[in-house]
Parts: sequence; C-alpha cells; structure tokens
Amino acid sequence: MAETIATTTPTEKVSFLSRFGPSNKKVFPWVLMAPTLIILFAIGVYPFLYALNIASHNIILSKPYLPQFFVGLYNYQSLIQDPEFWHALKTTLIFTIEAVFIEFWLGLGLALLFQRSIRGMSVVRIFILIPMILPPLVAALVWRYMFFPGAGLVTYYSGKLGQVLGFEPIPFLSDPDIALQTLVFVDVWEWTPFMFLMLAAGLAQIPRQPYEAAEIDGASAWRVFWTITMPLLRPAILIAVVIRTMDAFRTYELIVVMTRGGPGNATTTLNVLLTKTGLEFFDASRAAALSLLMMMVIIVMSFVFVRVFRSKTEVAE
Amino acid sequence: MSTTDVYAIESPAAPEVQRNWWVYIVLFFICLINFVPYLWVVMTGFMDRAAATAATPTWLFVPTFEAFSYLIFEKGILWNFLNSTVVAFASTVLSVSIGMFCAYAIARYDFTGRDDVSFWVLTNRMMPPVAVLLPIFITFQTLKLLDTLVGLIFLYTAMQLPFVVWMLTGYFRDIPKRYEESAMVDGDTWFAAFRKVTLPLMMPSITATAIFVMILSWNEFAFATFLTSINAKTMPPAIMAYSIGANVEWNVLGAAVVLITAPLVLFVLIMQRQLISGLSQGVVKE
Repeated sequence: MAETIATTTPTEKVSFLSRFGPSNKKVFPWVLMAPTLIILFAIGVYPFLYALNIASHNIILSKPYLPQFFVGLYNYQSLIQDPEFWHALKTTLIFTIEAVFIEFWLGLGLALLFQRSIRGMSVVRIFILIPMILPPLVAALVWRYMFFPGAGLVTYYSGKLGQVLGFEPIPFLSDPDIALQTLVFVDVWEWTPFMFLMLAAGLAQIPRQPYEAAEIDGASAWRVFWTITMPLLRPAILIAVVIRTMDAFRTYELIVVMTRGGPGNATTTLNVLLTKTGLEFFDASRAAALSLLMMMVIIVMSFVFVRVFRSKTEVAE
Repeated sequence: MSTTDVYAIESPAAPEVQRNWWVYIVLFFICLINFVPYLWVVMTGFMDRAAATAATPTWLFVPTFEAFSYLIFEKGILWNFLNSTVVAFASTVLSVSIGMFCAYAIARYDFTGRDDVSFWVLTNRMMPPVAVLLPIFITFQTLKLLDTLVGLIFLYTAMQLPFVVWMLTGYFRDIPKRYEESAMVDGDTWFAAFRKVTLPLMMPSITATAIFVMILSWNEFAFATFLTSINAKTMPPAIMAYSIGANVEWNVLGAAVVLITAPLVLFVLIMQRQLISGLSQGVVKE
C-alpha cells in the first residue's frame, strides 16, 4: 500500500502541476498573476459591486429599523437634483484644475532650471523632497498651524506686514473665497516637488540631436521650447498630470484638517461631501451613489486626458 | 556635462555667471519655503506649553521633552507607533512579493489580454479610497476584521499592489531575457533561474519600490481612521486626535509630528537616490 502511494502520487502531482508550470507559456503568466488579481478583485471589484448594490437601496446606517427596499436610480437622481452636489463638483474642479495648472508650470520651470548640474544638489534634493515625503496629514496639520489665527507664523508675520503696509489681517481660512485659494496654495506647496521630479526625469530622457539641429538653424529659445522640448516631453507630462489630477481630485486630509469643508460649504469638495453623507449622516445609499458618480467623473477625466494626449503624440510622431 | 549645451540653447539671453547667481537665490528660497513650516512645527514639539501657544513666535527657547513624555507615558503613543511599523512593514513585504510575480508575467510573457490586465490593475489605483470605504467597512464588520492589524495589513497590501506592479513591470523590462534563459539552458528550473539571476539584478529596483510603498502605507490616513479605533490604531489617526478643536496644544501636536516623521526623515537621508529613481520611474519607462 505504502509503496503504491509513494510511486504514484509524485508522478501524478508533477504531471498535474506541470500543466500550469513555466513550460506552458499561455497559462503560466496567469498563474503568476493570480494572487495579485484575486486580491485586487477582493478589495477593488467586490467593494465596487457592493457599493452599486447599496446605492440602489435605501440604507441608512443610523436607522437600521427602517425597512430597506430597492429604489433603483433614485439616489443618483436626487443627487443630480441637489444643488449641493453641483456646488461640490464645481469646488472640486476649481481646486483640481487650479492646483494642477500651477504645479505643472512651477514644476516645469524648476525642472528646466535644474537641467544643469548644480552644486550641492544632494542637499537641495532633500529640501525639495520634504513636502511630498511628509504624510499628507502632517502637511495639512503643519499649514493649519501656520495659518491658525493667533498662533500661526503666517498669520503673525502677515499681520505685522499688514501693520506696516496698512492692510487688514487676511482671513486665510475664515473667508469663503480666500479659504479655497489657501488650500490650493498648500496643495501646490506639497505636490510641486512631485511634478518637478517627474518632469525632470522626462527632460533627462530627451535626446540632444534636435537641439543641435535647432542651434544650427538659429531657432530662438522660445521656439525651441515649444517645438522641441514640449512635444518630446509629452509622455512625461501626460503621466505626471494624470496622476496629479486624480490625486488632487480626491484630496482628503488637506481639506478635512484645514477647513472641514467650511466656512459654510465653500471648500466642500466631493470627497468631503461624501465623508459627511456617509460618516456623519450615515446615509449609506446616498454616499455610495455619490462615490460612484465621483468615480465616473474621474474615469471620464482620465479618458479625455489620455485621448487628447495620444492623438497629439501621434500627430507629432 | 552634456546637458550644458541644451541649457545654453534654451536660455541664451542671460550671461552665464549671473544666471547661476539667481538660480541659487531661487533655490535658496525654495528650500526655505519647503523647510521652514516643518521646522517650525518640529521646534514647537520641544517647547513648553506657554511658548507654543504664545501669540508672538518664539525662535529661541530652552528645549524641553515635556510634550514627548506626555505622549509616550500618558497617551501610550508608542503603541500606535508599533502598530504603524508592523502594518507598514508587513504590507510592504506582502505587496512587493506578490506584485513582483504579476509584474514579471506582464513584462515577460506575450499573452492575450496582457494590456487589458495591466490597465485594469492600474485602474484600481484611480478609485478614491473614500468611495470603497463604506463597503469595506461593512465587510470588515462581518468578518470581524475591524480594528485589527490583520485587516489593515490585507487592505494596504491590496492598495499598494497596483503601484508595485506598475513600477516593477518597467524595471523587469530592463533586464534582458537571455540572462535567465541561459541559466535555464544550464539546467536550472524556472524558479531557480528567477531566484539566482533575475532577482539579484532586480534588487535595487525592488528596494526603491519597497521604500516608496512603505512610506505610502505609513502615511495612510482615511482607512486607518475609520477601520481602527483602539487596538490597531496607527500613527496618523492617533495624531489627528491631537489637532481637533479650537484649543489645540501645539507642542503636543509638534511632538507627535516629530514622532511620525522621524522614520521618514531617516529614510530620505539614507536613501534619497533610490527614492528619486523610484518616484520618477513611471515617466522614464512608459
């Protein structure tokens, strides 16, 4: 008995496993990818489907005794008819576009400055990395402190400056219009280094020949920048801008820590509205619907980005 | 350096010496703006309560460890620190060792649906964390994973996987296939070739990826806030608790910021080169 097991099992095992082994070029990659795909399914696809299901019911977590039934698209409909949703969408778009725009041009400017080797680069690099290595929570806390009335450095020194130059203390976080700009400022502070790193890496990849040709032709620096640097930098710009846009769109810590969406709802972005709906009002279904709408906006945005850039790159090639 | 010529074409207007001069001034101000806010909060951590809440900023003071001892001995923040360390470390090891094989498959094999898979993996990174928070919260509740390190580790592993796969795929493409093929001709199995040839060559890239992933896990805030309460609470939500309300004790907050950022600062000082190559990987390869 024992002998038969010893002789048959290993051979069977090997032949069974080898069907999925490295020799099978069609199946083996899927074996290698399986753990990743299963985990991503569990934490990406499943919650997404779950959210779809929640969004089509009326579930309020704080009132579990209420009858729950299928409501179809009601949650989406009521969101779309809610001015608060549109206000949050507008705020999110303003914040995202403004922040990414400024970060892009500042980052590009810095990357061009740094194209030349600079003395003490290794020290400068550490200073440049600081804002983006700090936990986003800490960056937000640091700037909350900076702008805090009666304690912050910025409020103190801008107040002093105001006394000299004769302007009122600036309500950095308490004025609806200024608060959003303050948040944009902090986002720019935090993420321009990222833009700079990505674009600097892209610039380093550009071959020198086109520049030499341009020099022979006597092209102006401005023209060289627009006709050589920018087109060749396009792949790097695409990745940097898409990543930053998606991250800025869902900025969370910064806004929650610095303004909690206020004053009023001046800085309530979609993410903040979502948190309020789901975790303060416990309206799970509405929150789920909102999160799905948000994802749709993100997908549309990145799709447009990729399309626009791809078509332009193809033309350039 | 070869980049000198490129630069000369791009801005031929300014004479060389003067340009350098203002470049360094600009750099100095960038360093100042980037560093001073953080430095100020760190300094606050070593102040006593009166100095930290004074309306006039105090730049010179006798350092005290009052806030640190309060956090450590009365608030037990070292427990949160330990949690953060365990979660960041475990999720990094897991996500890198799992994602590595996926990246390898995408980089090495030409199978049907390869581009779709790699794109799908990436889309998982696009999801706003808050969007899947609620379903995950409910699922964790049923599985009794709320406020446990295991739950958090699993979640962070999944969260970091797209990033790991994305970065490592580019790196794997850099390594010529023939190295491992020749090892296999010499009689090694696929796994032996992978372990003896490919893995050592990949080590610098894997390290860079791991550092970056560890930082992301260490910094994660939204999930940690809502999925942990006491036992598994990590540093970010613990620190958030000191900043709520109008009467913030800034020196306590400063000390907490020192504690959460100390490992990061160490990392940056030791590994800045790897970090930068890791961060800009996507651009160079895609």
